[in-house]
Amino acid sequence: MNSNDQNARAEQREIDASAKWPVLVFLGSALLWLLLGGVFQLAASIQLHNPAFLSDCEWFTHGRLAPAAQNALVYGWGMNSAFAFGLWLMARLSATTLRHGGWLFVAAKFWNLGITLGIGGILAGYSTSFELLEMPRFVTLVLLVAYAIIGVWVVTTFSIRNTESVYASQWYLFGAAFWFPWLYTIAQVMLFRAPARGVLQPVVNAWYVHGLYGLWFVPVALAAIYYFLPKLLGKPVSTYYLAPLAFWWLVISTALAGGSRLIGAPVPVWLPTLGIVAHMMLVLPLVIISMNFLGTLRGQTGAIGGSLSLRFIVLSIAGFLLSSVLGLALSLRGFAAVAQFTLLTGLRDWLAFYACFSTAMFGAAYFFLPRLTGKVWRSSALVQAHFGATVLGTALVLVGQAAAGWQQGHLLNDATVPFIEITKALAGWHAFNSAALGVLLIGHVAFLINFVWIACPFNSQGTPEAQIQNPPVLGLAAKEGHA
Amino acid sequence: MKNGLVLFLGVFATLALSWAGLLLAAHKQIGNLAQFKDPVEETLNPQPLSGLADQGRLVYQDLGCVTCHTQQVRYGENGSDIKRGWGERAGYARDYLRDRSVLIGSSRLGPDLRNVGKRIPEADYFYKLLYAPEATVGGAPIAHGMPAYRFLFEERSTAGRQPSYKAIKLPSSSAPAAGLEVVPTPRAEALVAYLQSLKDTYDYPTERSLNAPAEHPKGGH
Repeated sequence: MNSNDQNARAEQREIDASAKWPVLVFLGSALLWLLLGGVFQLAASIQLHNPAFLSDCEWFTHGRLAPAAQNALVYGWGMNSAFAFGLWLMARLSATTLRHGGWLFVAAKFWNLGITLGIGGILAGYSTSFELLEMPRFVTLVLLVAYAIIGVWVVTTFSIRNTESVYASQWYLFGAAFWFPWLYTIAQVMLFRAPARGVLQPVVNAWYVHGLYGLWFVPVALAAIYYFLPKLLGKPVSTYYLAPLAFWWLVISTALAGGSRLIGAPVPVWLPTLGIVAHMMLVLPLVIISMNFLGTLRGQTGAIGGSLSLRFIVLSIAGFLLSSVLGLALSLRGFAAVAQFTLLTGLRDWLAFYACFSTAMFGAAYFFLPRLTGKVWRSSALVQAHFGATVLGTALVLVGQAAAGWQQGHLLNDATVPFIEITKALAGWHAFNSAALGVLLIGHVAFLINFVWIACPFNSQGTPEAQIQNPPVLGLAAKEGHA
Repeated sequence: MKNGLVLFLGVFATLALSWAGLLLAAHKQIGNLAQFKDPVEETLNPQPLSGLADQGRLVYQDLGCVTCHTQQVRYGENGSDIKRGWGERAGYARDYLRDRSVLIGSSRLGPDLRNVGKRIPEADYFYKLLYAPEATVGGAPIAHGMPAYRFLFEERSTAGRQPSYKAIKLPSSSAPAAGLEVVPTPRAEALVAYLQSLKDTYDYPTERSLNAPAEHPKGGH
């Protein structure tokens, strides 16, 4: 190791030290929401095959529990973990410390306060019933102000960067940092402050939902993949020169694709048509991004087993491709005639959110937590359990929901089948899905326990100066630069 | 891409394009839709919700019915909505002017409700459905996908007083113990009034041609 490398490592340690507490606070709250949201989601899924479950308790009736679960997962786990990862990666890639981190604690407090109030509001009956905007109006400002602090920190960290070049991960993080507040503000204004009339409301809602997944969660996941793939494999991204083209093409097409959720709806027909065209346009960036990722992975498949982060990142790549392909299929009128309004539409969003985004966050956390805390994972059995549960649970949800959704669509389209028969046919699949969600929940518990062990400051395991063990197969310590 | 400003402008332009191209353009096109005055009957359509039904809309919203029920009848070859009897015609944008919050939904774990007031005019059926869903499918306690909403009802003793005229009639399998009656709360009444109000029966002459399939070109190959 020459002195240059040593300097780089010292600088990284300084950056990691500055990011440590904000990241741990965001990730810790994210994991609590992941657990709570997972429990809610499991309970809501059980209600689908056992409608009497909790039905006498007004707070936990399915129509409230299911959105509460979705909001806890999306805003609690998803946003918090994206903040943790985004702040850390932006500081690392911009080669600058995260300054005045105290403000981020304030932001984290208010963000989580807002979500707590919002989810309590949904359960108590103040839901607005607009997808992913169910939280009552009074939490909007709390969330926006808290987000403003976090967004400003990401953007200023980027603008005081000490690097010449700007890497692909930074484009995606920078873009996402701006898109979320704009999407959220516009949706809030057009639905609640100065509500649009009639069917414009579902148009705004579809636009927001599509934007939240496509312009926030997927970009953050792509930032993680672009960062970790070359870093953990120790080789540059292949055909990287096409990445800027893919970035702009992807985000512009995604931004126009929201109408594809409204096929057949009573809205001007050009909206879904534009969505279909935009989805077709997405094929090109998908090909480029696949070339970037799969090209980098080519010939390195043996190395995947050597790094836990890398295994999660590969899972995330698979999730990204699957959710994109399913989104493309759902935008086609012929496929939508069967699949629309079935479990397949939910599966598309779940793939983007869980299989693509959440696995990327797990992979990132397994990378940065030992570096931030200077400790090693205490229980490798729990680590293995988490990964195994994620793979198994994701596969089960994917297979179960896809098969169930397809069957549901065909039964719905056959007007001679009474509706009650469809409900009966799906009951078994719902039970299957509950089992899959249970498997995922076990993984989340395992991760949370390990997180508490590694993050707890009174932990005797390891010392602050502990050596970070790089994946032994790869031994890339020397190559760990900024990007 | 090294220039932060260029990146910012691109990021801004992306969302501005999306907002203007989708939301603003749609608003320009249908933001000014108004009720249609029937030239013969001189009625304004869609007719606004009654006060009670509008309260029921809030109950519908607070209980999250939209989680499993859509409120849209798709046109053309998009599924079998009309064949299932979920509507006599596809929905028009104008139909939705009556609702202060428009919840068209995106999941059909339950049936579509856009014209449920036309399909099922009796309030009794809805009360039974909400109190004991299995009572609506033949009496036997078989599985019904919908949960019961017993918290929308009050079970009270009839001892020493006249039974309420609002008490709902239940088959013996779902009925409460003897000496008790089940009375809907005001929230249940509002919700049922809303469900009964759900019917797009007026066929707008101005819109009738909009959702019809395009005519096949005549002649040629």
